[in-house]
Amino acid sequence: MSSFPGGRRVLITGLGFITPIGNDRATVSASLRAGKHGLAPVQFLGNPQIPVRVAGTVKDFSVDSTSCREWAWPAQYELPRETLRGMAPHGVYAFCAVQQALADAGLKPVDVANDDETGMFCASAGSAMLMHNNLALMHAVRGERGNPMGVVSSIAGTLNFNLAAHFHITGAVCGFVSACASASHAIGYACDEIRLGRLKRVLVVGAEELNAETLLPFAAMRALSQQSDPTLASRPFDAGRDGFVGAGGSVVLVLEEATFAAARGASVYSEVAGWGQAADGYSVAMSHPTGAGLQRAINRALTDAGLDPKDIDYVNAHGTSTPVGDRAEAIALKTLFNAAGARPAVSSTKGLTGHPLSLAGAMEAGFCALAMREGFTPGNPHLVNPDEACADLFLPRETLATGPAAVLNNSSGFGGSNVCHVFKRWAP
Amino acid sequence: MSFANLPASPSQLARYPVEARDAYERFRTTGDVEALSLVILAAVRDFMPKRNLGASNVELRGDMKLMEDLGYDSLAVAETVFFFEDLFKVRIQNTELLSVHTIGELQKFVMQKLAESNNTPSA
Repeated sequence: MSSFPGGRRVLITGLGFITPIGNDRATVSASLRAGKHGLAPVQFLGNPQIPVRVAGTVKDFSVDSTSCREWAWPAQYELPRETLRGMAPHGVYAFCAVQQALADAGLKPVDVANDDETGMFCASAGSAMLMHNNLALMHAVRGERGNPMGVVSSIAGTLNFNLAAHFHITGAVCGFVSACASASHAIGYACDEIRLGRLKRVLVVGAEELNAETLLPFAAMRALSQQSDPTLASRPFDAGRDGFVGAGGSVVLVLEEATFAAARGASVYSEVAGWGQAADGYSVAMSHPTGAGLQRAINRALTDAGLDPKDIDYVNAHGTSTPVGDRAEAIALKTLFNAAGARPAVSSTKGLTGHPLSLAGAMEAGFCALAMREGFTPGNPHLVNPDEACADLFLPRETLATGPAAVLNNSSGFGGSNVCHVFKRWAP
Repeated sequence: MSFANLPASPSQLARYPVEARDAYERFRTTGDVEALSLVILAAVRDFMPKRNLGASNVELRGDMKLMEDLGYDSLAVAETVFFFEDLFKVRIQNTELLSVHTIGELQKFVMQKLAESNNTPSA
């Protein structure tokens, strides 16, 4: 059991999805069950020479312009101009996902507004596109004028600034920046704030936009797949993988303290039974060769949850489809689970979505919660020839028709940041 | 007097009603002050916080106060000023704005700025 005094437990009671594989819970669930990917052809900067040919695109939104006047989103979301004016493109995704998650949790915006026990923790990298646009203008006019919304719409933190103001969040608001582990950090610290008794409810928001400014710098690092066939481009743990596929979107989780949630009759996806983090101390961008930090993070998450490796039925891997990262994670999983005689199903849903960077941890936590409540286990549909490093891992290709009782969700970010969550079927 | 140094069909007005875009063109080519007033009115409507006023089709009058009557906050004022700076290639100081409270005062202020900038082509 958790080492936190007070015995408070944390539940996932609402989900909102704006993702490459669907913009609502039912579509996301259907895509995960069918192994249907959300990758589509893309071309950036009008240049067919750029070797980035597919991405996990967000459908039914148009946020490519640097002017928010020209953005469009599905008609069911009412986004007032005075909120829109300070937002980045990924803020629009997040706004819609918050609305969806609140409704899914049986809450109205008025229920969380000015409620000192509701907080909001966000994760995004900011908007490189708007930052570039603002700074280009600044240089063009030699610093004489600038967009008054330039700061709040573009710097890391834009999500928390705008959403907390719009939804009148008074419990606490903060942002997390640890690259691809950001949203996982947000979930972990939200869980702790609730277990410490400081907040009763936290809206965890992850979001990223998909455009040249966000994605192409990763091509410069040689981190992106150059494939044009979506099924070949994102194939975590396959011997032929050649890099990750970028993605955008937003996922929101409503986390609530268990007695508080029960008192209002909330329906439950799963318990956040614990989490853990550890660092590699090894490289600015590459994983430790044997996933040393990830192994420590997994052990800490399991200890926090009071579980053994054998209790875990499913691992939602970080698995971005890069040669080095997938191998390190496979070694970490083999080392921990095989030694304990455990063989959980392992899959990376990034095969279907691509890799949404800061958003990844929240998106995959949402997928895990959905799988636990609806009773399925996502597979690895793009996996054909598993890497030899994965030889002893159970990597189902097809979705399994049974739901896991306990899940491990891994995320790793630049600088060797590793964050893991353990979700457990809720048993009051 | 014309303001032919200003660009034709600026992107900032691309989504504005055709009357506003026509008025801009009339002002640009003939210096028609009434036409400029229409452009400013369209921008005021555009930046007006809709939440405070409910409907955006309320009739706007020159004596209406931006903050008290139209629900402008200081960010909306800053946005409107930036819009005019960018559209008319002028620079507006914070101190100059202190005397602007109503729509009519804003119209007069922008006209004055444009007249000044027209006399100093390098501005």
